[in-house]
Amino acid sequence: MSAVLDELAAGGVRLAVPLLLASAGELLSERAGVLNLSVEGMMLTGAFAGAAGALASGSAAVGVLTALAAGLTVALLQAVLSVTLRADQIVTGITINALALGGTTYGARLLFGDGAADSVPGFDPMPVPVLHDLPVLGPALFEQSALGYLACAVTGALAVGLARRTPWGLAIDAVGEDATTADRCGLPVRAVRYAVVLLTGAVSALAGAQLALSEVHAFSDNITAGIGYLAVVAVIAGRWRAWPTVLACLFFGVVQALQFAAPALGLHVSAPLLTTLPYLFALLAVSGLVGRSRAPAALTVPFVRGT
Amino acid sequence: MRARPASPAAARVPALEIRRLTKSFGAVRALDDVSLVVESGTVHCVLGENGAGKSTLCHLIGGSLAPDTGTLRLYGKPYAPRRPADALAAEIAMVHQHFSLVPTLTVGENLRLLRLPDLARRVDRVADEYGLTLDLGARVADLPVGVRQRVEIVKALLREPRLLLLDEPTGVLDPVGTEALLKTCRRIADRGGAVVLITHKLGEVARTGDTATVLRGGRVAGGGPLAELPAERLVPLMIGRSADSLDPALSGTIGLTELTELTGSSMSKTPQAPADRPGPSALRVHALTVRGTDGTHALDGASLEVGHGEIVGVAGVEGNGQSELLAVLGGSRAPDEGTVAVGDTDITRATPRQRTDAGLGVVPEDRHHDGCVPALSVAANLFLGRLGQFRRAGLFLDRRAMRRAADTVLTAHDIRAEGPDTPMSALSGGNQQKVVLARELALDPLVCLAAAQPTRGLDVGAVHAVHSRMREAAARGAGVLVVSSELDELLALCDRVVVAYRGRLSAPVDPHEPAARERIGRLMLGAAAEDSARASAPTVAAPTLTAPAPADPATPADPAPPTEAITPPTPPTA
Repeated sequence: MSAVLDELAAGGVRLAVPLLLASAGELLSERAGVLNLSVEGMMLTGAFAGAAGALASGSAAVGVLTALAAGLTVALLQAVLSVTLRADQIVTGITINALALGGTTYGARLLFGDGAADSVPGFDPMPVPVLHDLPVLGPALFEQSALGYLACAVTGALAVGLARRTPWGLAIDAVGEDATTADRCGLPVRAVRYAVVLLTGAVSALAGAQLALSEVHAFSDNITAGIGYLAVVAVIAGRWRAWPTVLACLFFGVVQALQFAAPALGLHVSAPLLTTLPYLFALLAVSGLVGRSRAPAALTVPFVRGT
Repeated sequence: MRARPASPAAARVPALEIRRLTKSFGAVRALDDVSLVVESGTVHCVLGENGAGKSTLCHLIGGSLAPDTGTLRLYGKPYAPRRPADALAAEIAMVHQHFSLVPTLTVGENLRLLRLPDLARRVDRVADEYGLTLDLGARVADLPVGVRQRVEIVKALLREPRLLLLDEPTGVLDPVGTEALLKTCRRIADRGGAVVLITHKLGEVARTGDTATVLRGGRVAGGGPLAELPAERLVPLMIGRSADSLDPALSGTIGLTELTELTGSSMSKTPQAPADRPGPSALRVHALTVRGTDGTHALDGASLEVGHGEIVGVAGVEGNGQSELLAVLGGSRAPDEGTVAVGDTDITRATPRQRTDAGLGVVPEDRHHDGCVPALSVAANLFLGRLGQFRRAGLFLDRRAMRRAADTVLTAHDIRAEGPDTPMSALSGGNQQKVVLARELALDPLVCLAAAQPTRGLDVGAVHAVHSRMREAAARGAGVLVVSSELDELLALCDRVVVAYRGRLSAPVDPHEPAARERIGRLMLGAAAEDSARASAPTVAAPTLTAPAPADPATPADPAPPTEAITPPTPPTA
């Protein structure tokens, strides 16, 4: 039984790490008023670029850098469209995701021949001495790869460093609640929105790289399979607050891990059915069963001065 | 007359110099060759009707908009703001008509958004110098409008501005709050600062201003020292005709009644005796209670009766249950307790169709959102509720008949539109309101008309038309209920005035009794009744601000009922 618990905890955290990273960015973006649906596309692009960079250079670290560059490029596109050109954020988000799926699938055919990149240089687990022997928590938290630790650190830094009690966090909230007021207070509304979208691009790409380089050491078509959307849902389920969003991510991670733990538990449920579980819970979470939520008032509203 | 500071020496550099400013929006010229000079140490009033260009001027000075042509100079130096941050850097502070506060943040967080060094010291200084104290921990959404206004002003004063602009700042304030604000303006000017007060209320101008500029239709209609500009000269400049031609209700909306009372001349009023008719009253609201989502009572046992042929006004500081009362009448909100009857029909839980059938017409507060469909034509908006009358072959709409009928209404109500097919959104605010009113007045039978803020944002001509229509409806025997934050309008228009305070409605006050204004003013601040007000001192004496419990985050837009009597700031010992 404890083996099952270990598996569930370790698998849950493992699956939650990319989700945490992506939703940390998405939360910032939404708090500033940009509904960044393109997280999925940013993650997928990051995973692809990370795998391609690592494969070409033979170095996983270079893969992380190429992933970041690719994620920032997608983010720049999203920012120009939604902040400068004031395009509909839902349309741009969905379109960018479709574009990323098509683009990476085509790119994989070009670069990896048969479409899948196996044995990509990646990051191996680095157990922390002593701590990884702890029951349940040990394998869950202290047997990650270097990139995994980095992901956790970045998530924590964003959650704490850009909380409302910091000057930047307060500025982000003001821009997302009432852009006109923020503008009149002298805050650079568009610059703040660009910054959070680019930041989301960077961390989402990192999340994608974590998937491809730490988890599977490979890239396959649509490797993210909707995790980016799940990150958006986690933010809504967490009611736009940092720690509830972290909890939602961990919950979704554990639910995903169920599909691997199910056989050990003696459950004979088909795996595809189990993979739908997080999305079912996500639907429940946003349909008000978890609690009524209130989005930032200026979410998806482009800023125009002089009104 | 109050003592004025010595007029600044002619050699002194003016605080603000505006030269030949022009700004167009499409084909509309909002400002046309506007020039004005504001001296430091003075309060300069910019007067004008709605649509005269006052707010555009404000946006141009504040950097929210850029002028097409023209220049500004600030203390002698060229000043061309491209964004609000430029205005702040030039030490200009603005208090906007619509608050610039983030409602979900606390007062302290809103002040921190300005990113000023030594914030605590600055807050203390403003409290000392102007007597404006704040509860920094309170969430803005939980504060009554009067307190929000105070936060807004403190925010402006924190930077020690060289020029302070206030755009229609008293619209949301009760008489005591208005007085306190005007005193603050005066004090700023007396300390050497320059204040631009944008307003359409002449009473405020006479009490506070040193000089004035009058805008009409985007152009400067006149101006100069107020000592040389009595109201008899300002009114024609503002509205293009003389004050004598105005009826009392109309002069009420521009604050002229208040002014004439101040200067001693009397205003003739023509009281209208409510027609005594047998049978049930036009509108009977009994013990209405509406609970807010946070457990507070938006309406708390409100009762009211409107007789046939009678105009009853509801006065009060906004957020005391007036909006909920209209929402219950219009059917967008079901009451938790109580009943509403129109004539002899109970409509407490009726559908909108049953309400119109009972003879209830409603002109909602937000005519854009609730009163019309902006994208549809004027004709469609007029007849949306009775398209059945324009059937052709049992299936299609007879558009030609609809257009003809609409044309008749447009003429009868003097609605300025290119034609019945013009989209509603292309009409001016005044004409939109006339369409909504025409639609509701066309009910047959019309037993009761309920209108919320029916003249807000309208120019004098449209105000006049709306008032006349409501009087006509009453003369034809309908009961008319008017909710307005313009006390002078209610005093001149209504047969009886009740006051909303924390979800309750006071006993009616006769607007023609000599001390009606003072009595209503006290009721707006929560004096339960005339007698109790005399027996125990009203809450004005206790300026304790109790921060209410945080409201449900899902409903930040609902202003909590006032938790504090709005108090005038106590001046420091001079």
